[in-house]
Amino acid sequence: MRSKFCYLAVPLALVAVTGIAQANSDVEKNIANPANWAMQAGDMYNQRYSKLNQINTGNVGKMQVAWTFSTGVLRGHEGSPLVIGDMMYLHSAFPNKVFAMDLNTQTIKWKYEPKQDPAVIPQMCCDTVNRGVAYAEGKVFLQQADSTLVALDAKSGKVIWSVKNGDPSLGAVNTNAPHVFKDKVITGISGGEWGVRGFLAAYNIRDGSLAWKGYSTGPDDEMLIDPNTTTTWKDGKVQPVGADSSLSTWQEDQWKIGGGTTWGWYSYDKAQNMVYYGTGNPSTWNPAQRPGDNKWSMSIWARDVDTGKVKWVYQMTPYDEWDFDGINEMILADINVKGKMTKALVHFDRNGFGYTLDRTNGALLVAQKYDPAVNWATHVDMKSGRPQVVPKYSTAQNGPEKNTTGVCPAALGSKDQQPAAFNPNNGMFYVPTNHVCMDYEPFAVEYVAGQPYVGATLAMYPPPGEKNMGNFIVWDANAGKIVQSKPEKFSVWSGVLTTAGGLACYGTLEGYLKCVDAKNINKELFKFKTPSGIIGNVFTYQHKGQQFIGVYSGIGGWAGIGLAAGLEKDADGLGAVGGYKELANYTDLGGSLTVFALPPK
Amino acid sequence: MKCLRIIFTAMLFSCGLACHADEPPLYKVEDGYKVDAETMKGFRTWRAAACDRCHGANQQGLVGPSLIERLKTLTKDEFVTTVTEGRLVKGMPSFKTSNTVMSNIDHLYAYLKGRSDGAITRSKVEEIK
Repeated sequence: MRSKFCYLAVPLALVAVTGIAQANSDVEKNIANPANWAMQAGDMYNQRYSKLNQINTGNVGKMQVAWTFSTGVLRGHEGSPLVIGDMMYLHSAFPNKVFAMDLNTQTIKWKYEPKQDPAVIPQMCCDTVNRGVAYAEGKVFLQQADSTLVALDAKSGKVIWSVKNGDPSLGAVNTNAPHVFKDKVITGISGGEWGVRGFLAAYNIRDGSLAWKGYSTGPDDEMLIDPNTTTTWKDGKVQPVGADSSLSTWQEDQWKIGGGTTWGWYSYDKAQNMVYYGTGNPSTWNPAQRPGDNKWSMSIWARDVDTGKVKWVYQMTPYDEWDFDGINEMILADINVKGKMTKALVHFDRNGFGYTLDRTNGALLVAQKYDPAVNWATHVDMKSGRPQVVPKYSTAQNGPEKNTTGVCPAALGSKDQQPAAFNPNNGMFYVPTNHVCMDYEPFAVEYVAGQPYVGATLAMYPPPGEKNMGNFIVWDANAGKIVQSKPEKFSVWSGVLTTAGGLACYGTLEGYLKCVDAKNINKELFKFKTPSGIIGNVFTYQHKGQQFIGVYSGIGGWAGIGLAAGLEKDADGLGAVGGYKELANYTDLGGSLTVFALPPK
Repeated sequence: MKCLRIIFTAMLFSCGLACHADEPPLYKVEDGYKVDAETMKGFRTWRAAACDRCHGANQQGLVGPSLIERLKTLTKDEFVTTVTEGRLVKGMPSFKTSNTVMSNIDHLYAYLKGRSDGAITRSKVEEIK
């Protein structure tokens, strides 16, 4: 059993590279220049803020389409391209094409299309999305669906090295973007619906050799947890986790197929030398089969980037009963919290709570609902750090074969992976949210390697009496309060961009790119209908003195198919309540990039 | 063997709901949601294999096609092949290695056919007591 979960990193090709600069400094140099969009979030803090201000609140209304590009792939397009200097690196959904485009000539310099076993397609939960590439030291890193991580020569597109990160025959596939921090490329794994045991892995960017791998569950040494020095939030203070912090929270060997996958956006703080990320749901979705807190699924992690050693870990949703994956991005920001300048980590969890922690030690500072619809817990007890579950929404207390109804949020979460943005000018967070509730009926399911391991039937729909399934909000992470809220017809499933031009831009599932006034988000300054629904992240760059704003469109992902799940409930009379069916009135499949700029003067 | 199965399937098709007494009906349903023990196994298989993630909680179709529609034209043989081998490029997995699915494939077919025929009126069924 165990050997099945023991993946070997085998560099397939080694190329001698001489005169290596530290990747950190190379990437740092690239992100310091706002003309680039050198990382998926624009920076290592996951802030998604650009200092560019040529396009601003005064002129964004005049913005026009500058150019468009089809990836030739129909399915859901998440993430965004990168821009480094004169080059743009674009990716697509499966089969995970990468295009290197010369922005001077708008020609494709090279294209990489991996050959992948089509058997991975059905294993990709929800859709065959990919969240984009990473760039460092002349290499473009692609995390393929079949779990292969490749380093491509940024000049030629040739494979420099390639490693196998998981075993796709067991459902261990990838959708996440790789992240370069220091001299490592960090990646995770998907497959929480297949009983995959999650981990975070760091490969040396030089040759693809495995630097470290830390599991989300199991024995301390395999998680790289030191019972004495790794801390967590207990009884209102930061304390050592103690021995067997994971093993003691699972029944027998369930942890081996216990999930805790890691397919989100990671961040890095150089001063702490820590990489921050979240772990996903425990497997199966039927809580009756895995009594215990199921640590460390559903947790926020801080690992030393050199060794993988865990500095601190905090579990948001012990004993998950709703599929509230904790993988959403960790945004690092230095903000005022309770009257003190704080090195904060801010996280909008699927469970509907917005968390503010001290990122230096994992102390819990704020945990409040960022959607008023959230009802499964009354609040988070600040002493224990545990959400206080409302019995009638507990799928575990109601038990298997019982339909627990009206739980808010739905399994999609009040927010899924679509990343929020920070605005350093006012210290606020701009958050794309889902406003969806669900019925959840767990049932017993047997684990079979390589077969789905879900164990719950769900129906999703807007909160009772409401029609909008999304909100775009401004969040105060100090007060733990929604400052502004702008309703959207569908979930806002697009990563937000904030800029020095006073803008906050995001896409909608109908396919609109919208730019609003960051001071008053209900002031829509720009709106344009792109070819398909948007689940990609808005990005910006400058080329030859001109600022561009771009976004992938291409409906899909869980937003595209998941919304559908609730639209026709069983023959209980509710019938179609809009959602996916209505989405079909606005848009259809198709992956493409739309790039905007101000008109020539 | 294959030939025999086709003939057998064809018989089931032709008899549908109005079976002669000496031919076993594909499924039994009362009040639209109470089904015989075998068809109940079909429903349990549908859930265990998480078919709803692609085909929808009510078989109405999501990223995968509506099985209500598809089973109106798909023969049982085609159904068995599709479930066993998958249609990988389209995202349909192979259930060859799933004992649950393979040993219940006839029951799964009966349940889905009942849904497609409109005889089973809701996705969640109960066993006739």
